[in-house]
Amino acid sequence: MRRSAVIAISLCIVMALFGAAVMAQDAPTVAVITPYLAQPGTQFIVEGFQAAADEKGWNVNVIDTAGDVAAVISRIEDMVNQGVDAIVINVDPAQVAAGLQVAADAGIPVFGMDAGSDPLLVTNVTSNGYAMAAETATYVADRINCTGRVVMFVFDPYPPVQKRGIIADAIFANCPDVEVIDRITPDVNDGGIADSRAQMEAVLAANPDAGSISAVWAAWDQPALGALQAIEAAGREDEGIVIVGIDANPQALDAVAAGGNFEATVAQDFSGIGAATADAMERMFSGETISQSVIYVPTVLVTQANVADMLDN
Amino acid sequence: MTTEAAAEQARSRPQWGRALRTSGTLIGFLAIIIFFTINIPGTFLSLPNWLNISQQVSMLGVVAFTMTIVMVMGDFDLSVGSMASLAGIIAALLFRDSQPVLAGVIVALAVGLLGGLFNGILVSYIGIMPFVATLGTLTMFNGLAFLLSGGETIFGRDIPADFSSFARGGIPIGSVGERTLLFPNLTIVALIVLALVWLLLEQTTLGRRLYAIGGNAEAARLGGVRVRLLRLIAFMLTGVGAALGGLMYASRVASANPTQGAGLMLDAIAAVFLGMTMSEEGEPHVLGTLVGVLILGVLDNGLTQMRVDSYVREILIGAIIVAAVTSSSLAKRGR
Repeated sequence: MRRSAVIAISLCIVMALFGAAVMAQDAPTVAVITPYLAQPGTQFIVEGFQAAADEKGWNVNVIDTAGDVAAVISRIEDMVNQGVDAIVINVDPAQVAAGLQVAADAGIPVFGMDAGSDPLLVTNVTSNGYAMAAETATYVADRINCTGRVVMFVFDPYPPVQKRGIIADAIFANCPDVEVIDRITPDVNDGGIADSRAQMEAVLAANPDAGSISAVWAAWDQPALGALQAIEAAGREDEGIVIVGIDANPQALDAVAAGGNFEATVAQDFSGIGAATADAMERMFSGETISQSVIYVPTVLVTQANVADMLDN
Repeated sequence: MTTEAAAEQARSRPQWGRALRTSGTLIGFLAIIIFFTINIPGTFLSLPNWLNISQQVSMLGVVAFTMTIVMVMGDFDLSVGSMASLAGIIAALLFRDSQPVLAGVIVALAVGLLGGLFNGILVSYIGIMPFVATLGTLTMFNGLAFLLSGGETIFGRDIPADFSSFARGGIPIGSVGERTLLFPNLTIVALIVLALVWLLLEQTTLGRRLYAIGGNAEAARLGGVRVRLLRLIAFMLTGVGAALGGLMYASRVASANPTQGAGLMLDAIAAVFLGMTMSEEGEPHVLGTLVGVLILGVLDNGLTQMRVDSYVREILIGAIIVAAVTSSSLAKRGR
C-alpha cells in the first residue's frame, strides 16, 4: 500500500510539473482539434497555424484524437468547459455537430481548417476547388492553342470534385475549336488509377490516329496517372498529348518531374491555410465580424518549372 | 492483553490489510479527482463537466460492462471494437435504404448477437482459445464493415435526424445561466446496461456460475454447471453490448465509418483490468469496471483541460494503468 501511495504521489508531482509548464498568462488560448494529425496535409496545416499563432503570442493546444471522431466531440466539450477563447477543427463539421452545438451554446467560436462549411463555424479556411480547376483547364487550353480534342475525367457524385468539372467544361466550351470527345466518370473503388487506365485504353483504341487526342484533363491526380499509364503502354507518349491533374499527390509530382506527358497539377497551400485561419481569428479577436463563411487560400500550379521546389517540401 | 482482545486484533488486522489491498485504485482515483479539482478550479468539479464526462465514457462503458461478463470466466473478446464499427455501418446502410430507425437499431443489435454467437461457438464448442478466436473474428468483422460500406464514411442526409439527435438529447434537470442542463440520453443507456450487468453477475445464479467457471472451469463442470452453454451466452451478451456501443458512437458522430469503434477494445479491457485491482480475489466486477471506465474518462477530460499534449496524455494514461496494476499485485504479494 505504501508503494502505491508513493506511485500515486510521484504521478501527481509529474502531472503538476506538466500543469505548471502549460498553464499561465492572459493571451488568447486556442485549441486545435483533429483526428487526422498523422496525415501529411493536416500536419502542414496545423504547423502553419501554430507558427502564425506563436508569432501572435497565443497559447495553442493541439489535440490529436488519433482517428477517433467521437473523441473530437468529447475534446470540444472539454475545451468549451475550460472556456478557451476559440476552437479550430480539421474534421467534417457534420460529424462533430454535437460538439459544435455545445460550443455555440457557450458562445465559443469554432473555425474550420479545410473542414467543410457549416453554419455553426465562424468560417472555413480551405482551397478553392473552382480556382484549382480553372488553373489546369486554362493550362490545357493555352498549351493546345484552344484547338483540339480533349478527354475529361470527372466525378460528379462528389461535390468538391463536381465543381472542378463544371469549370473545365466552361473553359473548354469557350474555345470554339476544342472538342470534348469523352467525359468519363471512372470507378474509384480501386483508388481511381486502374479503372481510369482501362477507360483511357478504350479511348485510345477508338482514336488510333496520331494527333487525334490533344489533351487529358483530370479532376484529380489518380485518373491523370491512369491515363498516363495507358498512353505509355500504348506507345503513344510522343504524340504530344498533354495530361493535367489536381492535388499534387507525390506520384503526380514525380510524373511531372519526369518530364513526360503529365505536365501540370495543382498544389494546395496547406501551411497557408493554417496561417490564414490564424489571421481570420485575429480579426475576430479584435472585434471584426467575419462575414465570409469560407475563406479561400490561393493554390499553386505545379509544372516542370517549379516541381523541384514542391518535391523539396 | 486478554485473549479476547488478542483475538479481536487478529481478526481486525487482516480486514485492514484487505481494505488497503483492494482500495489502492479507488484511492488513486480520488487522488486524480483532487488533483484536477485543484489544478482546474471552477470547471472540473462542476456538474456540467461531470455530465460531459458521463456522456463521453458512455460508449466505452457499455462495451466494458459487457466485456466484464466474458472476463469473469477468464475469457477475452478482442472483436468488440470491430463489432461496434460493423453495427454502426449496418444501421447506417439500412437508414440509407430508408428503413425506419428502430429497424436499423434492431438489425444492428441482432448482428451483434450473431457475432457473439459465432465467437461463443468458436471458443466454447470448438475449443479455440478466446484470444485467437476473437482475433480472427476481429479481422472478419472489420473486413465485413469495409466490404459493406465500400470503405466509405456514411454520413449527412443518409443518417436520419431521429437517430443522431438521440445522442445530443437528454432529460432536462436544470439550467446554468441560459443553458439548459441535460442528463444525457447516452448516459442513461450506459446506466441501464450497468444495472442489467450488475443484476446478472451479482444477483443471479447464472452470474454465480460464470464466476465459478472463472475460478475453475473443470470443477464447475463436475459440479453440474453447463460450462459450454454459459460461455456461449456470455459471448453473445458481449457481442450485443459491443453493437450497442457502436450504435451509440454512430449516433454521437451522426455517421458510420468502418473503423470508428477500433479504439474501444483496448480501453474496455484496460477498464476491466483497472476494476480487477479492486477485488480481493482479482476477479472482475462490473462496479470495479465502472471505476476503471471513469478513471480513463476523467484522465482524458482533465488532462485535456490542463492542456497536456495529447501524446503525453496517452503515455500518462498507460503509466497510470500499469501503476495501478503494479501496486495491487505488489500489495497482494506482500500479504
